[in-house]
Amino acid sequence: MNSAKRIYPKDSMTAQQRFDAAVRLETPDRVPLSLMLYYFAPVYAGVSMHQYMADPGTYASVMKKVWEEVGPWDIYYNIHPVSRLIYSYVLMMRTLWPGYELAEDEMAKVEEITYMNPEDYDSVIDGPELLGDTLFRLRMLGRFCKEAEGAGIASLATRMIIHLARQVRNWRKDFKWWREQGAAIQIGCQAEMPFDTFSQARNVLNFSMDLMRTPEKIGQASTRLAASYATFSVTVARLMGVPTVQCYCHRSSNSFISPKQFEELALPGLEVVVNRIVDAGMTPILHCDGDWLKNLPSMRRLPAGKVVLQLDGLTDIFRAKEVIGDRMCIFGDVPAALLAEGTPTEVGEYCHRLIEEVGKGGGFILAAGCEVPPNAKAECVRAMVDAVKKYGYYGERVSPPVAA
Amino acid sequence: MAKNHPPNRKEADMPDSLKSAVTDFQTKFLAFDIDAIPKATRDLLSAGCGLSDFLTACIPCMEEIGNKFEAGEYYLPQLVVAGEMFKIASRQVKAVAATDSGCKYIGKIVLATPKGDIHDLGKDIFAVLAEASGFSVQNVGVDIEPKILVQEIEKTGATILGLSCLLTTTYASVRETVRLLEEKGLRNSTRIVIGGGATEKSLVEKLGVDAQTRDAYEGIGIIKSWAAQTGSDIETKEAVA
Repeated sequence: MNSAKRIYPKDSMTAQQRFDAAVRLETPDRVPLSLMLYYFAPVYAGVSMHQYMADPGTYASVMKKVWEEVGPWDIYYNIHPVSRLIYSYVLMMRTLWPGYELAEDEMAKVEEITYMNPEDYDSVIDGPELLGDTLFRLRMLGRFCKEAEGAGIASLATRMIIHLARQVRNWRKDFKWWREQGAAIQIGCQAEMPFDTFSQARNVLNFSMDLMRTPEKIGQASTRLAASYATFSVTVARLMGVPTVQCYCHRSSNSFISPKQFEELALPGLEVVVNRIVDAGMTPILHCDGDWLKNLPSMRRLPAGKVVLQLDGLTDIFRAKEVIGDRMCIFGDVPAALLAEGTPTEVGEYCHRLIEEVGKGGGFILAAGCEVPPNAKAECVRAMVDAVKKYGYYGERVSPPVAA
Repeated sequence: MAKNHPPNRKEADMPDSLKSAVTDFQTKFLAFDIDAIPKATRDLLSAGCGLSDFLTACIPCMEEIGNKFEAGEYYLPQLVVAGEMFKIASRQVKAVAATDSGCKYIGKIVLATPKGDIHDLGKDIFAVLAEASGFSVQNVGVDIEPKILVQEIEKTGATILGLSCLLTTTYASVRETVRLLEEKGLRNSTRIVIGGGATEKSLVEKLGVDAQTRDAYEGIGIIKSWAAQTGSDIETKEAVA
């Protein structure tokens, strides 16, 4: 069995072909499904969160169980962190882990601490463009990450390379099993975008004051790091053998900043990142938490048919389809609350509406908004699988969805 | 203003020197001139401003910023900086005005992020806005056990409980809090509003709370309407559309 294997009997495309067609805004055989269920899986399998996160063997067996009992689905969401150091490097937030800082059954959490000073914008602007993002992250890591405390840049870089090699080796082994099942892999590399990293690193209050006092520095600094961010991401994605980069934009939505601030300060850097990833023959997946609706008109200048827009349920996805659906593949957005508190019927009806309206003509990937929550009902997750089987095939007419 | 409480002194009833200091403070506040707030607050205090006059000065500022936020003219940075300016000024005023005597709050609220979540940003913004809107606020913190929330309600006599939920893992804590309030006979006298990214209107009924808010300012509107109804119709469920 290999990646040419069909997920469901009626499929005429492989999962990878289906994903690629959706990104190109073409109409695949059916709507692709990504079940982003990293935190749901151990709860479903009855395994402690610590054991799941710390032991690759446990992780693999849990995911296999979920695949067999809840799935199958098209796109494997691979965020399992083998190295705490690498995880901190890509997220750029202090993370609290079950079995380390938290009880064994707790979910991993992030803790917002202020580790960046106003002078660091100047250091970035005046610093080198080549490796700029990498050097910035290495310089910051020691300020918030236990594994990097007290380490110099050179020794930290060496440790990073060792951890990265270990992570890549582990992932490639993991991907082999998923590809044998016929699944496509979602993420070649993932990292918080520079603008959003600044917002996290300064904390919301300081960053808000920076936006009022020295907005031009934020814009210049985030654009300065963009090329290096793209180079690192493309290199790692190549090592992983997966041509996608998941760019986390946790703080660029209109839930945080105005559309004007987005267009003037965040978008220039985002545009550099997206264009470089696309030029490398890869697909940027923009992980857009919060309400992005007013940012979407300015994002129309990003290349058409090359970018995935991942929404978490806080953006009106139906309006997003109207505003930018002819330029970007839309990904989402069954709300976490619905998966945790809804019924399978409610989930099915919402998926049906997404498939009919956002999936109209293609360019759509069905997924949970942000992630399937750990306390999702298994029958609600299965309802997403059932929905693509029942309503997702483009060649078939089904009854129209129930209006929301 | 709550109908059961006499209002604080209006700006028009203040002496001219205080009126002038209030106007200057409000100008700095609405210009988000955070560096000028400590001096403007000292000028307020020199002109004889107490805690109630301070709230009288702040409330119209917060309302104007709130209106612009609701209209899409302002975004989170303005809310956050306004909240910080209020906190800076409030600390100065409270340090001089040793007690709250003479200051009428329009309601008491206990705020927390329930057990299962450690996010505090939204809760803290809401806390400052509520205080600046005339509420007495007990901000209990994050990852708070239901029994602690109920103890805080009992201790403070608060009639409103605000819960910030960024993760669905808080739902069980919200349910347990509602159950404990019922068990203690406090549910009918306590209205509960939830907010945060993991919440939506349908949860009002599912979790047994009274309202859900999409953002801080909508939430302020909800608790103000509750404060205005204090003592009447407390059992009515509201899913604010």
